[in-house]
Amino acid sequence: MMRPIGSIAFVAMLLALVFVPWLAPPALIQFGTTTLLLATLAQSWNIIGGYAGYASFGNSVFYGIGGYGTAIAMVQFGQPFGVGILVGAVLGVIFALLLGLPVLRLRGHYFAIATLALAEAMTGVVSNLDIAGRNIGLVLPLRKGDAFFYELSLGLLALATLTVFWISRSRFGFGLIAIREDEDAAGVMGVNTTLYKALAFLLAGFFSALAGGIHAYWITFIDPVSAFDITLNVMMIIMAIFGGAGTIFGPLVGAILLASISELLATEITGMASLFFGLVIVVAVVFMPRGLTDLTRRFPGLGWRYFRENLRLHRL
Amino acid sequence: MQTILAVDRLTKRFGGLVAVDDVSFDLFEGEILGLIGPNGAGKTTVVSLISGTITPSTGKVLFQGAPIAHLPAFRRSRLGIGRTFQLMKPFPGLNVLDNVAVGALFGTGGGKSQLREAREDAAKWLAFVGLGHRERQRADELGGPDRKRLELAKALAMNPRLLLLDEVMAGLHHGEIDEVVSVIRKVQSRGITVLLIEHVMKAIQSLSDRVLVLHHGTKIAEGAPQAVLNDPKVVDAYLGTRRV
Repeated sequence: MMRPIGSIAFVAMLLALVFVPWLAPPALIQFGTTTLLLATLAQSWNIIGGYAGYASFGNSVFYGIGGYGTAIAMVQFGQPFGVGILVGAVLGVIFALLLGLPVLRLRGHYFAIATLALAEAMTGVVSNLDIAGRNIGLVLPLRKGDAFFYELSLGLLALATLTVFWISRSRFGFGLIAIREDEDAAGVMGVNTTLYKALAFLLAGFFSALAGGIHAYWITFIDPVSAFDITLNVMMIIMAIFGGAGTIFGPLVGAILLASISELLATEITGMASLFFGLVIVVAVVFMPRGLTDLTRRFPGLGWRYFRENLRLHRL
Repeated sequence: MQTILAVDRLTKRFGGLVAVDDVSFDLFEGEILGLIGPNGAGKTTVVSLISGTITPSTGKVLFQGAPIAHLPAFRRSRLGIGRTFQLMKPFPGLNVLDNVAVGALFGTGGGKSQLREAREDAAKWLAFVGLGHRERQRADELGGPDRKRLELAKALAMNPRLLLLDEVMAGLHHGEIDEVVSVIRKVQSRGITVLLIEHVMKAIQSLSDRVLVLHHGTKIAEGAPQAVLNDPKVVDAYLGTRRV
């Protein structure tokens, strides 16, 4: 639920973020763009993983398809970026439907494993497509100025977050939550589980594909290995869960915090950075498995008992 | 009397096990039919076949004259079939009010479209089952008896025409059983037909218009409660045959 304080904070933060490009140095704008895109990915994962409870490892596929759709439309057909990103988004949605209908029949770990295989399969497929530049990739037209991409990413993140806000208080969202909590009971209570899961997957695919399109145009290059990188999918899951999956702001906070920590570690201690980053995640998952949102909600009442209870739940 | 549900030669096999074997019965509009039988008799399987969590191997189920045996569960619930689960299935992450609101948002005819209306409706049903004071609690924090009440409220919020109750009194003490019995009477007085699976014989006797007995998946008796419970075949099924 979004309390008034939450929405005010959201709007204030959004306004503050809009002006960053005028004030900040280029490096910060670039870091900001990356973080906003990651937050968008975490937020779109939140729809299928956080609300519907389907831990998808296939979202990076939509990201890659969005990037490739944009690149192919711009490079091979000489279309402007606006058309390109639209092509990417449409392709992402179509893929979400085509892939979703079979794999969403699987539950739990089986779903996760099936989606994990998708990314590998896509790398193989795209590496052999002439129109996608085979395994060399495609070089997109250059557009100077990071501010454009920053604002675009910010707008996309705002749109994704508003969508999640709507989901959280709609009949659709309650259907998704019911599926997450107990799919059989949801069906018996009248939730069209197949349709709802497919719609959630489709929404996740739509936003991920848009993020992929922006990223490809920003970087002006796309190749199969980086487009369908599975670590990106792992990142979005960690960010969403760290902040609080199934909440409106959790994935945002998780993405911003983890991206900042990762960046700080990378500049301060370079070589050992990923080790410490891994440590941060392990500690977070052990002490606050339901994310920061749950921590802020229940820590004031429970105090240190909150962490003890979580430890007990793990049976450590 | 109008038939609301007709079960016709229903059979369900799980591999080599025949859980429900050629069972037929009718359920009349507005009545309470008690469904009893020893553990493993196939009672819950019958409820699952009617509600759609599983589909039959052979046989037909007609609800208000229309065949439903192969419809997905959500379509049956929209037609007006609600059920509770013996192994209770609350949505643990949601509070009690929102658990019931899911029923009001979906359920018969597709339910309410606005969350606010659904929550108002949910509050009404929670009061109806005597759980009004627990609205804000998380569902997984409820104790056994309150979970049973929650199951009932969730099913009622779907506004069903036919309610399948799978052991809603198991584990309750006498006072609580009396409360649930009176809730079920109120449900019946609203014109809702009830199929009641129960081991609490006192409740079966006082609530049921008719009783049906399953044993090893087959129907062994059907009729007025007192006559059925005194039927030698039924006594044998529960106590075993005397061997001399």
